[in-house]
Amino acid sequence: MPILDFDIITLGHGSGGMLTNKLLDSGVFDLLSNDILDERHDGAFLELHGKIAFSTDSFLVSPIFFPGGNIGELAVNGTVNDLAMCGASPKYLSLSFIIEEGLPVKDFWEILVSIKIACEKAGVKIVTGDTKVVEKGKGDKIFINTSGVGTINPKANIGKKNIQIGDKIIVSGNIASHGMAILSVREGLEFDSEIQSDTTYLNHCVEDLLNNFGTDIHLLTDPTRGGVATVLKEIAEATAVGIEIYQKNLPIDDQVASACELLGLDSLYVANEGLFIAFVSEEKAAVILEKLRQDTKGRNAKIIGTVVANHPKQVVLESAIGGKRVISMLPGEQLPRIC
Amino acid sequence: MPQTFQLTITGQVQGVGFRPFIYKLAKKFGLKGRVGNNENGVLIFINATTKTANAFLKNVVEEAPGVSKIQSHSFREVPFQEFIDFKIIASTAEHQINIPLTPDFAVCDSCKQEIREKNNRRHGYAFTTCTNCGPRYAVTNKYPFERTNTTVNDFGMCPACTKEYRDPEYRRFHSQTNTCIDCGIQLILQDATGKDIEDNQEKIIQKAADLIRKGCILALKNTNGYLICCDANNARAIELLRERKQRPSKPFAILYPSMDRIKTDFEVTSEEEGMLLSPVAPIVILNPKKRKLDLKREQIAPGLQRLGVMLPSSSLLTLLMDSLNIPIVATSGNIHGSPIIADQKEAVEKLSDVVDYFLHHNLRISFPQDDSVIRFADNHKIINRRSRGLAPNYLEQEKTGGEMSKILAMGAHLKSTFTFVPNSNIYVSQYFGNLDNYDVTNRFGQSIFQFGKLFETEPRTILIDSHPNYQSSIIGEELAETWKSNIVSVQHHKAHFASVLGEHHLFGTEEKILGVVWDGTGWGDDQAIWGGEFFSYEKYTMQRLTHFEYVDWLASDKMAKEPRLSLFSMLDKEEVDVCKHKFSETEWKVYNQMLKKNILKTSSVGRLFDAVASLLNLIDISTYEGEAAMLLENLAQTYTGKDFIDFLEGEKYEWVHIRTILTKMNESMVAGMSREQIANSFIHTLALVIIKMAKNNNFRQVACSGGVFQNALLISKLVYLGKKSKIKLRFNRILSSNDENISFGQLCYYQHIKNKICV
Ligand SMILES: [Fe+3]
Ligand SMILES: [Mg+2]
Ligand SMILES: [Zn+2]
Ligand SMILES: [Zn+2]
Repeated sequence: MPILDFDIITLGHGSGGMLTNKLLDSGVFDLLSNDILDERHDGAFLELHGKIAFSTDSFLVSPIFFPGGNIGELAVNGTVNDLAMCGASPKYLSLSFIIEEGLPVKDFWEILVSIKIACEKAGVKIVTGDTKVVEKGKGDKIFINTSGVGTINPKANIGKKNIQIGDKIIVSGNIASHGMAILSVREGLEFDSEIQSDTTYLNHCVEDLLNNFGTDIHLLTDPTRGGVATVLKEIAEATAVGIEIYQKNLPIDDQVASACELLGLDSLYVANEGLFIAFVSEEKAAVILEKLRQDTKGRNAKIIGTVVANHPKQVVLESAIGGKRVISMLPGEQLPRIC
Repeated sequence: MPQTFQLTITGQVQGVGFRPFIYKLAKKFGLKGRVGNNENGVLIFINATTKTANAFLKNVVEEAPGVSKIQSHSFREVPFQEFIDFKIIASTAEHQINIPLTPDFAVCDSCKQEIREKNNRRHGYAFTTCTNCGPRYAVTNKYPFERTNTTVNDFGMCPACTKEYRDPEYRRFHSQTNTCIDCGIQLILQDATGKDIEDNQEKIIQKAADLIRKGCILALKNTNGYLICCDANNARAIELLRERKQRPSKPFAILYPSMDRIKTDFEVTSEEEGMLLSPVAPIVILNPKKRKLDLKREQIAPGLQRLGVMLPSSSLLTLLMDSLNIPIVATSGNIHGSPIIADQKEAVEKLSDVVDYFLHHNLRISFPQDDSVIRFADNHKIINRRSRGLAPNYLEQEKTGGEMSKILAMGAHLKSTFTFVPNSNIYVSQYFGNLDNYDVTNRFGQSIFQFGKLFETEPRTILIDSHPNYQSSIIGEELAETWKSNIVSVQHHKAHFASVLGEHHLFGTEEKILGVVWDGTGWGDDQAIWGGEFFSYEKYTMQRLTHFEYVDWLASDKMAKEPRLSLFSMLDKEEVDVCKHKFSETEWKVYNQMLKKNILKTSSVGRLFDAVASLLNLIDISTYEGEAAMLLENLAQTYTGKDFIDFLEGEKYEWVHIRTILTKMNESMVAGMSREQIANSFIHTLALVIIKMAKNNNFRQVACSGGVFQNALLISKLVYLGKKSKIKLRFNRILSSNDENISFGQLCYYQHIKNKICV
């Protein structure tokens, strides 16, 4: 951490004047230094070949530090994963902060360090960015936006149109961890042991699958906000196929499952960060799963469902105790329906 | 000088032996003419003088068959045409169907006698029916009710049956469901794997009875869907059934061989007897006599005094019970909230792990229905579930029509029904069940589609509950998109209130009416979970007056499943430790934390019942919906004293203080008052809340709805207190008071409050 003569961020830091320069010079630029960023031009000069994927996402999370990660790491992994879900290898990211006046510099620095480490792990560079400071009360500590570009893997052909009846649906790991980690901290809920967010970068793991199985991977998607249920329901509606999922196959950590039970939440609707869902061809499903399970990011992967011709646009969960449940999009929060 | 008259009879007049009745009556009068069914009902042409025509019509109305219900009748002179005889003519339906759908009728006494008679040609025949009895709605594909429009048409009539069908002097003259052993409806007895084990039709029922007697579990296809049966006096068989069905404690209904046998085991009032013997033949909740019965009551209905009892509703069940001559458990053939199964293939697929044997038959069922459930609070009838025998007609309404037709109301979520107004009649569907379940959703949607086809109508307006996550609301929105119909949402409790106003034709009342709507949950207009509501109705306007004190709604659907959570949320801060022992340390910490940050509030009386049941240590975690309220009512009914406490004595009534009730109850517990007395006093307190609310606000009429009013003790107390204080109380009487009435309530609200249609 650089030695600065202030310990909280004030409005002056975002006004383009001296304080900002100081923060950025001694902070952001030094830490995230790379050949492109170091040019310090108005924009970045990039060299990319072939088909490109481009994605953007803004990150607002409360609290900004949570078990298993913080908002900085989340912002890098989020865009990296969105690009990976396009079948692309993420290369370059932009990074913008909107900081609420009063954020401790120490916290900002910690976030920045996490960003640096996350970029290194995922193998991406921050090439351009921006920092703004808003008055107290006009933000919530810190908001981060990242955008990214990456080159599409030539072996990949990802798209909803590729989904076929019979496709198997693989989820890459335990569900609901991120949401429950955030919720337990936010609500001050104490469980027997701490639940960790699953935030991580998925690009290497996905690249590996694409290199090996190419077009047998029909669709990739990350079930972030709204959880596995929402993502599957969106896909079913968009493609007019039916989706069947099996409760007994859903991978979930015991601690997370009992936390959901305790709070009366349905784990299928709880957010994930380091997770992806793959729709794969029926024939290759077993080998793809086996391969995925060899990767540390995919060691808990499971086939959780099938694309079916029955009930187009509907997602139906076969419950562990028998009986089928309709999975719908929750327009709001999980409201009680029972009379 | 003979003229020609045309008589039109509307109402429930098809599939009830109406045309044969007219035929015989015309013969008696010596009249010539024609009778037929058409899209509006029954159409009669006669050559007669005005005087004779009048007398004839008078006889038609007065002597109409017992199972028919005439809504309107008219006659007018038409251009003269001469008839040479009197004939029943085939149905003509040239326009959209505008008649009630005939419900299923339980087997009649004459048919029962025939199947029991040694030398009768229908001796032992399991599908014996006549113009007075048998399935109707269940086998309907199309209307008018003609054989060709039913699934019975899969079976051609043999010469003997054809003869009966054509013989005007015979009971089965024009009986559309007429069949006999030679016509083709076959029984099929199979083991759990779906393998036939008996070929001889005559031996099948006897064999099925033997299996039940031996302790086996049997799935039996009745004419409205499958039942799962076992010996009601065999604890092991019932426990095994509970285990396999994964249904730990929800009560089972019992099928009795005869009324006499019911009377030896239960106290039966004349109303209850009449209901059991009626063509509806529902399950009736009865109070057992105080002596040892040959029933394993603790296995049949754990923790409950009263039991659901019924008599055979079909020839098949009559024959089986004749052969068994012991009461048997008879519960809907389904698994885990799935709809009642009515198809052989599906039964084998889904029930082979639950039952040991199957008794199928090959008559297809178009509209599967559960058995209806009814109970009485003194003389007041409470419908717990409206299905076979009661659905889908709603005849007790003035004819609607014009702008106010082509409406589909989607109902609620947990106890789903729909209400359809394709023409000038109202149809309220049977109960479907919990729409969380995919198969229920499917059947619900499919039935809506079948109704659309039956009446060749696409609704212009679709009414939904304002809860955004109800599956019925979601389906309603999808349908609205498909049919390009308007969509209107109606608040849940306003719909409940409107349902009673509608049932009692009160929309036109001059006097203001107090609406008391108490249930488990419903999405309120203020983003809170309502359930303890008071409304005022006056001149086509409905207003929320007040409600039960808001408390925290915790943990989504879990709160409804765990009465201890309601207790935790409703107890005063000072006293909350009373329930600490009901939670683990982690749970206690977590729920206390949740309570601090919780935003969602509720006024639910259903949850108050849960809290009280938990306080009285009856139950902390439910295994079925309504369990806590049933156990609480059961406990309260065992109190024989007359010393009822008002736990809200001296409180102001503009607001009902839940915490005060619980505090006072807790004090009484500590002071050593019996749990029975506390439970009874709790219900007494609630009854007084209504009476005082009415008195303090100058209401002389009160309309109550919502699931809480399934409670017979509450109704008894209310009826008594209402009489004493000259306050007129109205309850749902044709429909159930629970969410089954929401679809009808949505319709009433839309017609009379939103559009201010005056009646
Ligand atoms: Fe309700
Ligand atoms: Mg994203
Ligand atoms: Zn009969
Ligand atoms: Zn025959």
